[in-house]
Amino acid sequence: MTALSFADITDDDVRAVRQSHPQAFGDPVMRMVRIASWTIVIGYLLYSFHLFEFAKIFDSSERAWRLVSRIFYWQDMASWHYDQIYVGIAQTVAMAFLGTFLGTIFALGIGFLAAKNTMPFGVIRHAVRRLLDVFRGIDGVVWGLVFVRAVGLGPLAGVLAIWISDVGNLSKLYSEAIENIDRKQVEGVRATGADPARIIRYGYLPQIFPVFLSLSLYSFESSTRSATILGLVGAGGVGMIIIERFRAGMFDQVAFVVLNILIVIAVIDWGSGLIRKRFIGERGH
Amino acid sequence: MLEFRKLTKEFNAKRAVSEVTLDIPPGQMVGIIGRSGAGKSTLLRMINRLNDATSGQLLHDGRDVTALKGRELRQWRNECAMVFQQFNLVGRLNVLTNVMSGRLFHHGFGTSMLGLFSAHERAFAVRALDRLGMAHVALQQTDTLSGGQQQRVAIARALVQEPKILLADEPIASLDPLNAKIVMDALRAINVEDGLTVVCNLHTLDTARHYCDRIIGMQDGRVVFDGTAAQLTDRMAREIYGAEAAEAFNEALTSTSLGRASIRDVADATRAQARATV
Amino acid sequence: MPPIQPGQDPVALFEAHRAEIRRQKLWINLLLLGGFVAMLLWSIDVSRFWPDRLAAGVPRIFEYFGSVLPSFQWDLLFETRNAEGRFPPGSIGFWYNDFWKYLALIWETILMAITATLIATALSVVLSFLAARNLTPAPWVSTAARRFLEFCRGVPEILFALIFVFAVGIGPLAGILAITIHATGALGKLFAEVNENASMKPVDGLTAVGGTWAQRMRYGVLPQVLPNFTSYALWRFEINVRASAVVGFVGAGGIGAELNHVISFYSDDRVTAVLLLVVLTVTAIDLMSERARHALIGKEALK
Ligand SMILES: Nc1ncnc2c1ncn2[C@@H]1O[C@H](COP(=O)(O)OP(=O)(O)O)[C@@H](O)[C@H]1O
Ligand SMILES: [Mg+2]
Repeated sequence: MTALSFADITDDDVRAVRQSHPQAFGDPVMRMVRIASWTIVIGYLLYSFHLFEFAKIFDSSERAWRLVSRIFYWQDMASWHYDQIYVGIAQTVAMAFLGTFLGTIFALGIGFLAAKNTMPFGVIRHAVRRLLDVFRGIDGVVWGLVFVRAVGLGPLAGVLAIWISDVGNLSKLYSEAIENIDRKQVEGVRATGADPARIIRYGYLPQIFPVFLSLSLYSFESSTRSATILGLVGAGGVGMIIIERFRAGMFDQVAFVVLNILIVIAVIDWGSGLIRKRFIGERGH
Repeated sequence: MLEFRKLTKEFNAKRAVSEVTLDIPPGQMVGIIGRSGAGKSTLLRMINRLNDATSGQLLHDGRDVTALKGRELRQWRNECAMVFQQFNLVGRLNVLTNVMSGRLFHHGFGTSMLGLFSAHERAFAVRALDRLGMAHVALQQTDTLSGGQQQRVAIARALVQEPKILLADEPIASLDPLNAKIVMDALRAINVEDGLTVVCNLHTLDTARHYCDRIIGMQDGRVVFDGTAAQLTDRMAREIYGAEAAEAFNEALTSTSLGRASIRDVADATRAQARATV
Repeated sequence: MPPIQPGQDPVALFEAHRAEIRRQKLWINLLLLGGFVAMLLWSIDVSRFWPDRLAAGVPRIFEYFGSVLPSFQWDLLFETRNAEGRFPPGSIGFWYNDFWKYLALIWETILMAITATLIATALSVVLSFLAARNLTPAPWVSTAARRFLEFCRGVPEILFALIFVFAVGIGPLAGILAITIHATGALGKLFAEVNENASMKPVDGLTAVGGTWAQRMRYGVLPQVLPNFTSYALWRFEINVRASAVVGFVGAGGIGAELNHVISFYSDDRVTAVLLLVVLTVTAIDLMSERARHALIGKEALK
């Protein structure tokens, strides 16, 4: 069997190879499975395009055009009430900061209650975890609305909403960090004859602190994003301005506000990067 | 005929290949030797345009390779297959698909995205694998194979391209001596039996002497030797290798007494190896 | 550390240097602490988180949560409809009077999330190859793709939903489009990072074969990154379910509109009825997706 050429492969050759290496032509079962799964995916998509009336996209060109042109064509920039905008943004950042701070403090306690190695009683651990599932399972906006109903319109509801979401998220992440702790380092400290306070100080804290700090910094950034939209349900911050001006058709101003928020979030991202680098070093989270 | 005309490659300010002028007639087996950093890989990769020349020209049968673009460039790459030191196979695909990927140039967008290969292509790929004694692993995931086996799969992939030229960049540098011999035997056999031009970067002198019709020595990007194995004196070789001479001379991978093997012997050796490991 | 002069005690010098560094660090840490406290006080003030408001607010929170809890009468708990076709107050049936309506909306919510995740995954696979610096066909394409992805994930879903409700009208389509765009931005970035860590060797191999850019991506990169892509897409699906439960707040379909309506207009057990269903759905989907992801990673680890 010397030099071969593709053009010289005859149907007989194919038959011969099929005989000697039948699997090389694909497992018919696997092929059916593959075809079936693709059919399901594509079939589902087509069905959902129909169900959700994707065709409406093509009827919307006029409105979409109006919207897009207003977003990019900024008019009457002198009358945009910048003071309101920046007070709103400041309020949003403040809500996020305070909410994350309170969330962190609560999560510090609850995280230990939800971790296997620090909470020996399974009943309590599971109860705590289910409660955290409830906190996390309900979106921040929904919490916002709930708290608006409970304590009235304004940033207090927003802070509470961020707080409860952050308790849910951070506690879970903290408890995972606690569970992933390196036992050997703790044993090492204990072996020096340290008392419990020192075991925590030198065995646990150095391992946990960087992770906790990093998680809380990330949480601050993502809370700022969620705080932006809390105003949509009246829970304070710049979201109230966004929805107000959107409803009034001032899309250019909405675009301006969103642009400003994106810049603020980028700055927070950059700042938390610096802090992370200072306390944690390059390895990050 | 492959004609190099003052082919030069600069990386930033560094000249990796400097005004190389050569002719390689069809059917020749050429070994390029030199210490590491001499510019062997860069020269080879300029042939199939994985690296673009800074200046100079490369002609193939009168066609300017350095000026090719788009589909013509891909066609040229398809005509000169390449085998790499690290095999450069897709580890997570099975062996057969890797080999069939050598036919991708002939595929349109649709069939290649959907991974549809014809029965003829499958048969051809199995034949190519069989030629290297590798058909028995056709459905295995590629990264589960040993280095020597992967390099033979890579050669099979090169074969299904039906190339005119086969480029090999240190094809045996990552292999143990036995596999190195099997792979070099396979390259030589392809050169003899299929009449392919083979251009092969080699680190060790012995291998080049043993397998190649012609040896090109490179130093600092320039060609400093071009002749037959007999013409390459030890003094010349020591100069080409410089500080790496001891290594290059000692790593005598192949024993001359074994003689050259036909590709059938390669396949037989592989099968024996496979039986031994089962 | 200055070079040691003859006659100086190296230990004392080292200690002095150490003390110097510690002093510097202490100052910076104090400064950071001061900044932190100032920020805290400022944010307490700006968000009007004042003690008197808290004192007034906290009891109302408990009052509210008390009022939305269902009040069961244990003997009637599993009572069925009575002669008038109504459930008696105090039964589960009464609490979940609108169960089937909620369930239909939850179903719609899940379908919205599935559709959005599928489209977003497909789009972000393509965009991630364009955005990855090692794979992009041209540097400016990578930059453009990156900026586009940043924009997509920078704007929250619900804002996009607001815009799409205006453009295509009230209904789930607006929500799907909003979630798709945001998820494309998030997934595209993650996928691009995975791509940048992929080995370029197979790609070189396929270039040498004469493959097109698309073929290089399909055969050289995709097999390497597919397990990671799948895992990320599943994780994104969990997030998208949460998102599609709230885009309804601005009229973009799913259970959100009902949630908004119930919470805004009633303060009785209907609120907990809907919220509980949402939590159960979200948690169940998290659980399933987590299982699938672990199975996927486990399978990879065995290889
Ligand atoms: N991608 C690159 N960027 C910058 N310099 C390179 C690159 N590739 C190779 N070089 C340089 O070019 C010279 C020749 O390299 P190479 O062709 O790989 O040598 P060889 O294959 O003979 O070991 C070396 O000095 C190397 O550092
Ligand atoms: Mg090299």
